[in-house]
Amino acid sequence: MSGAAQGWLLATWAWPLALLLACTWPAVRRLMPQLLALAPLPALAAALFAGGAPRVSVGGRPLELLFGLDAPGALLLGVASLLWIAAGAYAGNYLRGDAHAGRFAACWLLAAAGCLGLFVAADLVSLYAMLAMMTIGAGGLVIHDGTPRAWRAGATYVGLALLAESVLLVGLVMLAVEMPGPGLGIDEAVTTLAASPQRPTILALLVFGFGLKAGLVPLHVWMPLAHSAAPVPASAVLSGAVVKAGIIGLIRFLPSGEALPATGQMLAVAGFVTAFYAVVVGLTQRHPKAVLAYSSVSQMGVVVAALGLGLAVGDGKASMAAAFYAAHHVLVKGALFLAVGVAAAGTKGRRGWVLAPALVLCLGLGGLPFTGGAVAKFAVKDAFSTGIAAALSAASAAGTTLLMLHFLRRLALVEVEGDRPAPAGLLLPWLAMAVAALLVPWLLYAPAGLGSATAAFDPLALWQALWPVMAGVALALALRRSADRLPSIPEGDIAAGLEPALRVSRGLGARLDGLDCVLRGWTVASVALVLVAIAIGWTLLPR
Amino acid sequence: MPPTEALAAGASAGGGWLVASIAWPIIALLLVIAGGERLAARVGVLALPIGLAIAAAVALQVGGSGELVYNVGGWAPPLGIALRADGLSAAMLLVTAIVAGGSGIYALADFGPPRAGSSGRTSLAFWASLLGAWAALNLAFLGNDLFNLYVALEMLTFAAVPLVCLDGRAETLKAALRYLLYALVGSVLYLLGAVLLYGAYGTLDLGLLATVAQPGPATWAAAALMTAGLLAKTALFPLHLWLPPAHAGAPPAASAVLSALVVKGSFFIVLRLWFEALPGLGSAAAMQLIGLLGAGAILYGSALALRQTRLKLLVAYSTVAQIGYLFLVFPLAFDAASGRLAAGAALMGGLLQAVSHALAKAAMFMSAGLIAVTLGHDRIADLGGLARARPTSLLAFALAGVSLVGLPPSGGFAAKWLLLSAAVATGQWWWAVVIVLGGLLTGAYLVLVLMRALDEPTAPAAPLQPVAAWREAVPLVLALLAVFMGLAGVLP
Amino acid sequence: MNPTTLFGLCGAALVGIGLYGLLTDPRLLRKIIAFNLVGSGVFLLFGVVARRGADAGLGGDPVPQALVITGIVVAFSATALAVALLLRLHDAGGGATLDDGADSAGKDRSPS
Repeated sequence: MSGAAQGWLLATWAWPLALLLACTWPAVRRLMPQLLALAPLPALAAALFAGGAPRVSVGGRPLELLFGLDAPGALLLGVASLLWIAAGAYAGNYLRGDAHAGRFAACWLLAAAGCLGLFVAADLVSLYAMLAMMTIGAGGLVIHDGTPRAWRAGATYVGLALLAESVLLVGLVMLAVEMPGPGLGIDEAVTTLAASPQRPTILALLVFGFGLKAGLVPLHVWMPLAHSAAPVPASAVLSGAVVKAGIIGLIRFLPSGEALPATGQMLAVAGFVTAFYAVVVGLTQRHPKAVLAYSSVSQMGVVVAALGLGLAVGDGKASMAAAFYAAHHVLVKGALFLAVGVAAAGTKGRRGWVLAPALVLCLGLGGLPFTGGAVAKFAVKDAFSTGIAAALSAASAAGTTLLMLHFLRRLALVEVEGDRPAPAGLLLPWLAMAVAALLVPWLLYAPAGLGSATAAFDPLALWQALWPVMAGVALALALRRSADRLPSIPEGDIAAGLEPALRVSRGLGARLDGLDCVLRGWTVASVALVLVAIAIGWTLLPR
Repeated sequence: MPPTEALAAGASAGGGWLVASIAWPIIALLLVIAGGERLAARVGVLALPIGLAIAAAVALQVGGSGELVYNVGGWAPPLGIALRADGLSAAMLLVTAIVAGGSGIYALADFGPPRAGSSGRTSLAFWASLLGAWAALNLAFLGNDLFNLYVALEMLTFAAVPLVCLDGRAETLKAALRYLLYALVGSVLYLLGAVLLYGAYGTLDLGLLATVAQPGPATWAAAALMTAGLLAKTALFPLHLWLPPAHAGAPPAASAVLSALVVKGSFFIVLRLWFEALPGLGSAAAMQLIGLLGAGAILYGSALALRQTRLKLLVAYSTVAQIGYLFLVFPLAFDAASGRLAAGAALMGGLLQAVSHALAKAAMFMSAGLIAVTLGHDRIADLGGLARARPTSLLAFALAGVSLVGLPPSGGFAAKWLLLSAAVATGQWWWAVVIVLGGLLTGAYLVLVLMRALDEPTAPAAPLQPVAAWREAVPLVLALLAVFMGLAGVLP
Repeated sequence: MNPTTLFGLCGAALVGIGLYGLLTDPRLLRKIIAFNLVGSGVFLLFGVVARRGADAGLGGDPVPQALVITGIVVAFSATALAVALLLRLHDAGGGATLDDGADSAGKDRSPS
């Protein structure tokens, strides 16, 4: 059976790439937008059947690529593939009549291959390769609409992603140099990292890179821009699955079971700052997609805080708990983005199909009992069990509820694009994702090794989950009048403040042109040649 | 690499292939000149696959049995001159054959068999120069004697200069003269260095110099002069004055050869000079200085590429930047403890950078040429609508860019990984910062071009010129080779 | 001061004069002549090296003489190519000087 499992592991990323290759035929390219839902199927099979299978090895000397699934990876791969399937089905309908549908499909397949392949990558090189593939595909999805807003968002996204990947590359190379054998497997790398004299530097680089991909403040500025400028199905997978690349990276490389109090506390602080900052800025946003994007930033902050608190005390189970929380977020955020699309596509009269489930999902994200969100919050309760962390976690839940209710209000006011009700091709994926978001966490709690979910029905636990939601609802009702009088912060908050820096850099560029004109004059260049000869000779002299 | 047993014992079997790889392009050149304007293109294009076959034969032999050595006339050094092919040479021979072949095929549209009534003079000049440059490059990669390498260097310059001014405009003639004169200054400095070395040691053979060279004023002066001369020919910052106008003004097929191959010839000779002839004579300061010039090239060239308004100039400045990566090999391969240059990850990274840059830059210039033919101009701001007009060319450009930025699985990524490993392993973290910044800037100017091209047309569409499909295939094939080169490490 | 040293100093002086001309004079023909001067200086130094080999007991080291002949041929070809290009440049209306910094790359800069 392990042969099939290994096949599923390779097909996770190979199948979408094969579909991408098939897109070079025009006939297939025309048909491909309708077939996007088929691309993640091997990934789903891998998540179900290949968890814990031995690693697959491709190649040998000098480069060996490894693919395998650890427990958090299997969990995230499963829910991510569900999201990719539903969003792919949604995209098939969404793209009808779009002139650039073929290009969208190609970028989609590339992003899917990278995103899903990232979860099965088990060595440093394939990890980096999947990350790069995912970034290129996602960038193409962001700029799909071709509006100036989309270009700006795409440029910011690709630029910051390249920065993250460059920093990650240095960290990974530093790890690779210290590894004893020729192989570059992640398991061996983590062991090397634990014993490495360069551990602080390497960890700092990795946390920076993966934190940027996950959207920690102040490196989050690309997320609101990209997630609101992209088309709806792309936003769903971007906010749902692509962002989890940073999370899975942090989970894999942060030491588990070993207590690093300073690092853990720093991570926790960063996570909580992100969580609250994003809620505050999100409340000022008007567009529902922007609100959702800020909510994603905030939730990733909570995940990172959970990881940090677990790291500070050396809790070995913190990574699985954080992965579970992130998995719920994959489903919920994906579903809510699809909801925005459905709301925009259908008549106001049929809004009920959208608003009612969305209300449940929104409150669930805050932790409403009996929803999937409650299970997710229950999973990470150990991290937030003591003192100030518990208070912050409860405040964050209230803030999330407030933010999501703000989203719901903006969703209800979304302008409709046509007279007809939303087509079934858009409605069904949304409803399927909504149901999955509510049910799947319950089903996965025990298999994820987190214990029994029945403890969540304990009255004390129910109350602890309920009162932050009630506080958030109360705040929302109280602030209902003043919602429209909040200052409007542009999407990407800090990024807008960087405009003066761009102007300065353009001025510097003009100076550089002048310098080049001087350097490329004959006299200057020939004298430079003589000077270079003298300088090399002088540096060769013994000291 | 120390002199091998083969050199002491004489030639190795299969050494005849080395002679063939130098002789065949020269024979083809003579045939082209004999054929005159009418037959130049036909003879030239027939020469390409044979040259590729010879290069492949050399590569297979070197891969199988290690180094190949041939003693010209049967006389071993110091009396005679040796030709030597090791792994570095074989790789460069192969990539030269591939890129020259691709450029030749691509050039058939502009420099093909002359139609009735038109003069075939430019065609003759192109094919003669291409074959001459190919012969010179092969000699540069195989030569084992510093004076032999001087001849190769000069032949390369004389063959490359006409490639710059094929269209005969005053602008390109000026660029060609600037190139020629600056290269000649470099040559005389190199020759001066060779005189000093011969005067001090009585030999110019690389292997023998490695055994007899001692630190001293003559050696230091010679090394400095020769290195500076070669840096001028390779257009390393701040000696890059001739490269942008020359490479941007030449026809696309010629630019491809100039940027991809010609600058690699003089770089290869710098490598041979330091790694073979004078490995123990470098000092840490000198290596850091060369690395500093390389870093300057990377940052300066990439920043200037961002400022360009014309596509071909952007690609030319990108060449200025990518040449900088090549010279990072020197500080990274220098072992401070022993004071020697060692062949290791850094040298391998430099070789991969040279090979992948050759493939990617040739693809870039060729697709830029096709874009210019399609739109009638190459202004970056007005590239809109290109994605629909020339998707294949744009794809080739984008894939070449992927290799330049260093994304997996391209050769550029493998080169970057190896250079970064060397930087981290030797504790020289500042080069790692430079490499990372260079990658970001490269990504910036590539994204700039791609975004403009994917955008809608800014001006009312002028009629688009058609381009033959086989012409678009050549840069695409070269770009795919560059992008998937990294997978060669995974294959069995 | 024996003849060998005199020749060596002459060679050095030629190289210096030639380099000065190459660096400073904007006229192309002067640059070509200056290049030939530098070349002659280098060849003189080859002769000095050959003579030093002679001092060691041989009639005159033949290898530098062979190198000089090759060098002369190379310098001659370089001069021929440069003069041909200069004539073409003049015919194409481009003048006969190499102005500092004024080339095509400089003119196409973006104005901002």
